[in-house]
Amino acid sequence: MNQAIGRIVLTAPRRRAAGRWRWLLILPALLLVLLFLGVPYLNIVVMSFRTPSTGAPYAPGFTVASYAKALSDPLYLGILWRTLRISVLVTALCLLIAYPVSYHLARTRSRFRGLLFACILSPLLVGVVIRCYGWIILLANNGLVNVTLRQWGLIRRPLPMLNNEFGVTLGLVHIYLPFMILPLLGAIQGINPSLEEAARSLGASRIWVMRHVVWPLSAPGVQSGTVLVFVLSVSSYVTPVVLGGSRVQMMAPIVVQQLDEAFLWPFGTALAIVLAITGGLSVVAWFRITQRLFKGAL
Amino acid sequence: MRTATTAPERVGHAVFVTFVTLAYVFLMAPIVVVVLASLNAGNYLKFPPEGLSLRWYATFFHSAPFLNAMAVSLRVAVIATILSTIIGTLAAVYYTRFTTWGRQTLRMVMIAPMLLPEVLTAIALLLYYYVIGLGTQTLIGLQIGHVLVTMPYVFLNVTANLGNLDPALEEAARSLGASPAAAFSRISLPLMKQGVVNGAMFAFIISFDLFSISLLLKGVDTVTLPIQLFDYLQWNFDPTAAAVSTMSILVTLTVVLLTDRFVGLRTVRF
Repeated sequence: MNQAIGRIVLTAPRRRAAGRWRWLLILPALLLVLLFLGVPYLNIVVMSFRTPSTGAPYAPGFTVASYAKALSDPLYLGILWRTLRISVLVTALCLLIAYPVSYHLARTRSRFRGLLFACILSPLLVGVVIRCYGWIILLANNGLVNVTLRQWGLIRRPLPMLNNEFGVTLGLVHIYLPFMILPLLGAIQGINPSLEEAARSLGASRIWVMRHVVWPLSAPGVQSGTVLVFVLSVSSYVTPVVLGGSRVQMMAPIVVQQLDEAFLWPFGTALAIVLAITGGLSVVAWFRITQRLFKGAL
Repeated sequence: MRTATTAPERVGHAVFVTFVTLAYVFLMAPIVVVVLASLNAGNYLKFPPEGLSLRWYATFFHSAPFLNAMAVSLRVAVIATILSTIIGTLAAVYYTRFTTWGRQTLRMVMIAPMLLPEVLTAIALLLYYYVIGLGTQTLIGLQIGHVLVTMPYVFLNVTANLGNLDPALEEAARSLGASPAAAFSRISLPLMKQGVVNGAMFAFIISFDLFSISLLLKGVDTVTLPIQLFDYLQWNFDPTAAAVSTMSILVTLTVVLLTDRFVGLRTVRF
């Protein structure tokens, strides 16, 4: 006993000495995030206020001209509007599809439960380009869907499903659906099934139970799922390019084009920041709306 | 168990089950179709298929750009996995053990690369590399980008794992005379193995499929597989792309199965 106490006393100063070097553990991660995320983001904010130039990416001096152009040019406002419109539609469709799927998976006692869960996760393990390519195989003019429909004599000319908003919306819903299902699944699994059984045994219909018991209690899942899908859609790059072609232009590809191809750094970054701020404000507005929608539930 | 159901409720249940089944079909269809197309003999996938063939895989193994891109992708993903696993694990140990003030802030800082839109981070890094003179000619810039966005996945997995660890275990070892280093390496390290390996798995998969950062930070010889596939799909739709995609899916699937085999998969919450 005495020996043990002695040892603890002996090791105490050494422990304090080790404590002085603890911060070395966090240093690499902190440097990584500050130097390669913090500073670069600050840099694009500064860049967006630089004076545009024709010969070089930017000229000395500062101006708000790029923001004025980004916020007044009908071309870019139109693309911003389309981006927001498609993202809201994608979010709504994802919620509509994900809710029954999540509810079913949360409550099922099937032995295929693990397999179903793997089906929801597996799209996340397949690259976005590959998943978009899968939709091309299905939806192209000589793709599986059109050819099959023609063989059955249901259509004469192929249905246009690519290079339009339909294709982009469908692709985005597919790619972001797991991001809606996972938070919803977590929220619904957290609801005690006996609450539903109690309501049912008191004579409530299934619909009433869903509307007045399950839905309000799943509010946190609805909120985080919708925010996640909306933010991802607003900033999506691959899907609009691959499934929308040049006809359905969205913000992220336009921003990349301005920077990577046209070398208009101040304008491109201003456009990116306008997109980020619009997206951020939409999320704040959505938080307000859901707070009112779910009243005390959040 | 089940309360008496009325006829409309039975119809409702049938509709519900059909809807859920269709949702699963919708989720899996594009992936299944890609794999089928890669094995199909014809140029277009039809039902009934025109016969099995491995010719598109032969094209893949004779295509220098695709083979090169696969090599670049694997190299970048392996290096990113190693670095972000080390950096993320150290940060997670510090976060769970030693943070006393500013915990929430530190957590937000650590997962910020995951929360910010990838395309915006890619743009920010591209301009930054030009400004500091690093450019995109070498792999370094692209590699740092991959480490940056994969690190949060390791951090989250390891913190979740360490959070479930009972500190009393290590204290018990200490009170029995083990040095702090010994207590950590003999007690905590084996117990956190699962979190670390799962984090590493996520880091590999995210890096292997990363798009925007690889697109904007690519140099002449540093094109990764998703970018090569993307470029190919701008002009061609032949099933070589399907063979490439299937190979890529096989790589990630192997990593997942190996992880499951050796430490078991953990479910992570987003």
